[in-house]
Amino acid sequence: MIDALWITLQLALITTVILLFIGAPLAYTLTFKTFFGRTVLEVLVALPLVLPPTVLGYYILLIIQPSAMVGSMWQVMFNQSLAFSFSGMVVASVFYSLPFSVQPMQQAFRAIPVVWLELAKVQGLTFKETCLHIIFPASKSGILVAVALVFAHTMGEFGVVLMVGGSIPGETKVASIALFEFVEMQQGDDAWLLALILLGISFVMLSIVYSINKKPLLTGNMDQ
Amino acid sequence: MIHSIAIRQQFGALLLNVTVKFDNEIIVISGENGAGKTTLLRCMAGLEKVSGIIKINKKIWLNSAAKIIVPTTVRNIAFVWSDAVLLPWLNIEDNIILGGKNDAALLAFICSECGINHLRHRIPSMLSSGEAQRVALARAIYRKPCLLLLDEPFSAQAPSIRCRLRIFLQNIQQQWAIPILIASHDPEDARVLAQQHWDMQEGSIVVVNSSG
Repeated sequence: MIDALWITLQLALITTVILLFIGAPLAYTLTFKTFFGRTVLEVLVALPLVLPPTVLGYYILLIIQPSAMVGSMWQVMFNQSLAFSFSGMVVASVFYSLPFSVQPMQQAFRAIPVVWLELAKVQGLTFKETCLHIIFPASKSGILVAVALVFAHTMGEFGVVLMVGGSIPGETKVASIALFEFVEMQQGDDAWLLALILLGISFVMLSIVYSINKKPLLTGNMDQ
Repeated sequence: MIHSIAIRQQFGALLLNVTVKFDNEIIVISGENGAGKTTLLRCMAGLEKVSGIIKINKKIWLNSAAKIIVPTTVRNIAFVWSDAVLLPWLNIEDNIILGGKNDAALLAFICSECGINHLRHRIPSMLSSGEAQRVALARAIYRKPCLLLLDEPFSAQAPSIRCRLRIFLQNIQQQWAIPILIASHDPEDARVLAQQHWDMQEGSIVVVNSSG
């Protein structure tokens, strides 16, 4: 059980860090830029919200298996398979939790008063200075919400990581899969304890989100 | 005349149609609400898309026919909005310096002239609207811009402070020899400050009075 929790924690932390760096520029692009294919990109980012996790996992597996281009390149570079490995699970988690990173940040960026961005131009701020002095401080709460949601969401993944990771003990078996197996093998005490731990973590993360937001999650403005 | 504007653009119901020349002087723009004063200032700042030509210091900032648009970030202008527009997470001093170099002597001089020296380490939420407006004016002047655009810069000030700020603006204009454009409803601004006075109606300048 400790193994599974440790793997889940590592997966959640790594996914959160990666999605901070991918989610912020993606959210920025979707908020402030107009370009051909913007709606398609927005739909692709939101897809994991509605897609059955096994479907997403299946497609990711197709891409990262050793006979596919990405999978074979990985095999050549690192001399190990991306499918059914921890790294493969990270790739899958990043896709699966992408909307939980991008959408709160997008809402936060949208809530920035236009006049603050005009001020940045008038003051002659570079793009980097505008991000540093205006965009990030103004959307701090949205970014924190994104971090908390991605972390909590990754902790609770099941279908995607099962498809891509394959539940190898000590390597890709995460807490939610371990719980399923405890139940299947009728290990009631272990199942009870693990479920309580996962419940506790999710409760704490959502409490953080709500205390940052102080408004209902799906209807409120993330930046207030 | 070293600066010139010849722009024409439809903004909703307003047709902005301005052709005018000016020197390094204080220009007060008056007119009813919706006459296009703020829009004109925003066009000069590059904050609105507009067709025509804008030349400042004989440099072309805009020539829509030749598709030349100098971005706002490199125009070296300063703009004061009718609301103060201060960043709430920065203290007053950092709001004034925003994006510029720290010049302690200049900062002290401007803060003292604007009567905000005692507020330098406070945050914007602790300020009255008049104080916040003076901070915004200080921030604009601190940039040492080549063009200063002010939209109702004294609207929240008591009469005695308005007097003081007008004298400060006149001194700045004389020392730095820059053009200063002020959109204002206050006839006193036009009377005391204006070396040129533009009266705007429905997007056009209808009267130009030069006293310089």
